[in-house]
Amino acid sequence: MDFSEIQQYIPFLIPVLIIQLALMIAALVDLIRREHTRGPKWVWALVIVLANYIGPIIYFVAGRKDE
Amino acid sequence: MNFFIVLRKEITEQWRTKRLLIVAAVLVLFGLASPLLAKVTPDLLKSIPDMPPGLADLIPAPTLADAVGQYIKNMSQFGILLAVLMSMGVVTQEKERGTAAMMLTHPVSRLTFLLTKFAALGFTFAVSLAAAALGCWYYTLLLFEALPWGTFLALNGLMLIVFLVYVAVTLFCSALARTQGASAGLSFAGLVLVAGIGSVPRIGEYFPGQLFNWGGTLALGGEASNWPALWGSLGLIVISLTAAWLVFRHQET
Repeated sequence: MDFSEIQQYIPFLIPVLIIQLALMIAALVDLIRREHTRGPKWVWALVIVLANYIGPIIYFVAGRKDE
Repeated sequence: MNFFIVLRKEITEQWRTKRLLIVAAVLVLFGLASPLLAKVTPDLLKSIPDMPPGLADLIPAPTLADAVGQYIKNMSQFGILLAVLMSMGVVTQEKERGTAAMMLTHPVSRLTFLLTKFAALGFTFAVSLAAAALGCWYYTLLLFEALPWGTFLALNGLMLIVFLVYVAVTLFCSALARTQGASAGLSFAGLVLVAGIGSVPRIGEYFPGQLFNWGGTLALGGEASNWPALWGSLGLIVISLTAAWLVFRHQET
């Protein structure tokens, strides 16, 4: 398989990875500071860290409970 | 209370509830990824092992139209979904928590209460879409060629109007519902209804879906106009907000 053509586009993914990291950190900080979540906190931590991009968004939309 | 004071509070709320972050992150991701995907997909297909000889030559080289097409496709799906997701609880949540009653005991009219929520969500989508458009324009320049910025701006302006239609319809559903579950159900019913009627021939010409085609043609240098869809969309926004106000006006909070 020849990936040499595709490899040249890898640097274009760096901003995408930075946004993903920022989203993950924001979600983790929110999770740590929050007293109550819908469901166990450790499950949300796994969802945020393991599910790239979509994990933090699912947490923000469905995981937070009003303080 | 002054409209702009309440609006400032609502925009702060957009930041505090992470709505701004979510919308910006998703739209910028697709803004950047769309031209990249358009560029890489043919190469990815060609790299499939055991591809029959000659088939690789049949895969067309990516063009500027593919990049714009990919951008419109992603934005039309994820932008609309976000518009519904981010707006569906805004009024119901405040009614449930009792913060709406607290706000309305201050000299804040119910119209101001609704309009500032709409304006704050509009601000979130406008800022996020501007960042996404900038990213898409720059990546398209690097990977293909420069898109004419004037017409690309027009495409994004039309897309923003589509998102605002769904924000307004969802706000109406949120004002109508008593609980957040009911609000979510109604909001998705509203989404299906607007998108469904928009795909009916003739009637669909007045619906927001047509604005994507118009914007796409403009961005690629073509001649097109679809004013009925623009007026229809703006009309839908006004009707939805008026209906939300009429419903909310007599509700106990």
